[in-house]
Amino acid sequence: MINRALLPAGGGENMLHCTDMTVLERQRARIKWQQEQQQQFQLQQQEISYFTELADVFHQAGVHEGGLSEVVTRSVKPDPGLVDNGWNNDHVVGYGVGLPYNNGLGFELNYGAISRTSSCPPEAVAAVAEATVKGSESVVSDMISSGAGRESSKKRKVDKAVAEEDTRDKRIKGCAEQGESKITEKNNNKNSRNNNTNKNSNSNKENSDETSKDNSKVSEVQKPDYIHVRARRGQATDSHSLAERVRREKISERMKYLQDLVPGCDKITGKAGMLDEIINYVQSLQRQVEFLSMKLAAANPRLDFNVDNLFAKEQAFPACSINFPTIGMSSDMTNPAYLQFNPAQQQLVACCGLDMGIDPPDMALKRTTSAPVSIPETFLDSSCFTQTHPPPTWDADLQNLYNVAFDQGRQTSFQTQPFTGSIEASNLKMEM
Amino acid sequence: MASKHTIATRHAQGIRARFASRFLRSLLRLRRSGNRFGGSQSNDEGIGKRIRTDRIKIAAYAAMARAVGPRRSWSRALLFKLRNRARIHGVSRKRCLVSEKKRVTRNKVVAISREPSRADTLRKLVPGGDSMDTCVLLEETAHYIKCLATQVTVMQSIADRLLL
Repeated sequence: MINRALLPAGGGENMLHCTDMTVLERQRARIKWQQEQQQQFQLQQQEISYFTELADVFHQAGVHEGGLSEVVTRSVKPDPGLVDNGWNNDHVVGYGVGLPYNNGLGFELNYGAISRTSSCPPEAVAAVAEATVKGSESVVSDMISSGAGRESSKKRKVDKAVAEEDTRDKRIKGCAEQGESKITEKNNNKNSRNNNTNKNSNSNKENSDETSKDNSKVSEVQKPDYIHVRARRGQATDSHSLAERVRREKISERMKYLQDLVPGCDKITGKAGMLDEIINYVQSLQRQVEFLSMKLAAANPRLDFNVDNLFAKEQAFPACSINFPTIGMSSDMTNPAYLQFNPAQQQLVACCGLDMGIDPPDMALKRTTSAPVSIPETFLDSSCFTQTHPPPTWDADLQNLYNVAFDQGRQTSFQTQPFTGSIEASNLKMEM
Repeated sequence: MASKHTIATRHAQGIRARFASRFLRSLLRLRRSGNRFGGSQSNDEGIGKRIRTDRIKIAAYAAMARAVGPRRSWSRALLFKLRNRARIHGVSRKRCLVSEKKRVTRNKVVAISREPSRADTLRKLVPGGDSMDTCVLLEETAHYIKCLATQVTVMQSIADRLLL
């Protein structure tokens, strides 16, 4: 029986063995109902409070069962299974178990335990204080009210941290007897905190789990998919309008990013114009892909040199190709999309000029066959006249182009060095 | 070839090198397959050119989508579309369209009676854009534009080198 008595309160019927009191039964039933309701959290506090309330009831009702004293003394032993949240062992009596059986001795023991230890559950203290203040007839109503209070606390999003905070405050502030005014203060604090949490939930974009310690800050997200937003001064605090504002800000941030990506969009303000520009740009890029694939299809049957060379060139100097259309043109026209396809000739000439720079280091890298040499020679022939004036400015231009036209830092440093070296090599080659 | 591929797939090289290597390999493959199945036939005819154009275009988009990987919504949508197209290549085009639309929610397919807004036009342009809200659409558009630009430049340089 004692073992069963030491079981947690959820165990139910086993513990009740001596019971004729209707008051006892009624209260037991009520306790059970309350326990079932709030079994998730603050278990100890509830049960201790129950214990004390029942003890008080018995005390008031004058129930003295000698046979119960044994149970009581046994139940006074701390139950290790019920120790949680750093509560004192003295405090955690085997309450849930031997609850209904109490006599004055047990009650005093428990009450003494409560008054002795520094950590008290607020509700328990409240119940005890209420119990001591009011008479026995009102104990039932007290239990109801405290039960109601506990329910409201359940509705509050009071975390264990808040409870611990309360207990910590309790420890600092002292025992139960002094605590009535403090209890009311605590209740008021809790109520205000409750209101604050409600306000927070209104002003937040979504409900949060945060402890309401600091209501005035936009705190860190505890759950990753909730974003805390605070209403700005002079603006609507509606949750809908807040969500909309967040959405609008996200959209405008992305539009700004797109403005940097799409060339020629500095002057355009406004989403509509920007969207038009973006659409035009995407369409032109896709048209260019189509055109280039046509060009490649035309060129395909004439692929008689080694494509592996293209591999090496592409991966060693991927930076070069981006600069083709930009040399000799204004910085606005960085995009080939905006050039007509006829001036592709100029681009090709410029390309060939650049290709000069590419090939010597490529050959230095690969040291291969004559096949790659044939192409550079053709480049040389067609484009030698362009070599004269660009070279002195190429280094600076290309460095600038690398910095400007190359977004997101795809460029690695090693690519610039061989390039600058290659230009001089190409100059040498030209003069040969 | 393997060493080049590993070099190209290092992140320091970026998406450009990855795309370039994949695209070149697929070009090679296309050329070899073109040479295998009757060399001169598809070279000169107009229809043959269109077919080759489309094949190269698809190869380019597929290479870009694979180089990006499944990280981005548009690349996933593009790969899905290409796989569907490859799978039902023999079947008529009508079914292809139906299978594409099935992916989209019914509302968007049926209820477009108003004038298409700019966002809708953009959705049509960006692969997989139908099932995105505006915010995500803009982000995907930005990445898509970046990748398209690199695709264009790489293709341009390849074409220049090949043609001349």
